[in-house]
Amino acid sequence: MRSLVTLFVLAACAAPAAAQTDTATLNTSLTGLARLTLSSSAITFPDADPDAVPLVPSSPPTISITAKARAAEGGVVTLTVQASDELRSGVVTLPASLITWTASGTGFAGGTLSATTPRAVATWSGSGVRIGTQSFFFANLWSHPTGTYTLTLLLTLSAA
Amino acid sequence: MTRVRLTLLASLVAVGLLPAPAAAQRLTLTLTPRIVSFPSSDPDIIPLVIAAPVQVSYRVLQNNNAPWSLTVLAGGDLVSGPATVDISNISWVATPAPPFQNGTLSKTVAQRAASGNGNVNPASIGSVTFRLANSWNYSVGTYTQTVIFTLSAP
Repeated sequence: MRSLVTLFVLAACAAPAAAQTDTATLNTSLTGLARLTLSSSAITFPDADPDAVPLVPSSPPTISITAKARAAEGGVVTLTVQASDELRSGVVTLPASLITWTASGTGFAGGTLSATTPRAVATWSGSGVRIGTQSFFFANLWSHPTGTYTLTLLLTLSAA
Repeated sequence: MTRVRLTLLASLVAVGLLPAPAAAQRLTLTLTPRIVSFPSSDPDIIPLVIAAPVQVSYRVLQNNNAPWSLTVLAGGDLVSGPATVDISNISWVATPAPPFQNGTLSKTVAQRAASGNGNVNPASIGSVTFRLANSWNYSVGTYTQTVIFTLSAP
């Protein structure tokens, strides 16, 4: 028993390793952030015979969408589109709902345009970068008055 | 039986008194500041968020020609409630090199930030600048984590 104790004392005194520590705290506050990029800022529906082309595809035929968003953990990220007005040519109007779209890409969905209500283009959960496409179509009818019709689309990317 | 107990008592006294004062005199380490903040930034504009540098003051005495090293170990990932950012997204640039070296934080293995031999006297100062790899994938939140700098010599 005495030998054991003596060895312990020697080991303790012969361990000269020294260390000194100090601590730093890293922190960052990440705030909500969103960026929306479209491959084209204008689309056109060319005139066409309603019997031959009842649903006129736009030119360019697709718009590529890159949606980047920082949301709360598991928060909802939405991309919506709303028309600024009905299709208008002077005093003549056509309903914005004549324009529909199909979509590709995770979280993207097709829909029908509205001048009064934002319509969902895509929905995701959480932060990230998402890429998809929208292809617009115009419902062509013999009843449409001639004219050059325009409207503005407002796409909104938001994160909760 | 009585003799054994007395010997043990003496041993404990020796262990408690001798090594501690020696270690305190040999190595000193001070960080300034101790709070490192990364500002929130757009990842497309600032892909690498750079914090203000940390001044590392260190001194090594009574070391003869033995090696010394300064290591950095994170206490974990950056944490904000349920959200985390892997700590490996934080790297550092350190000067002067040598003895300092660049590296990437780890929560499992202490990473060497500086090393040398012999004494460093008077105290020397290095600069460690932490950098956060910015990403759209990070969740919104206020993240924090501690990192431990350890100056050691045999």
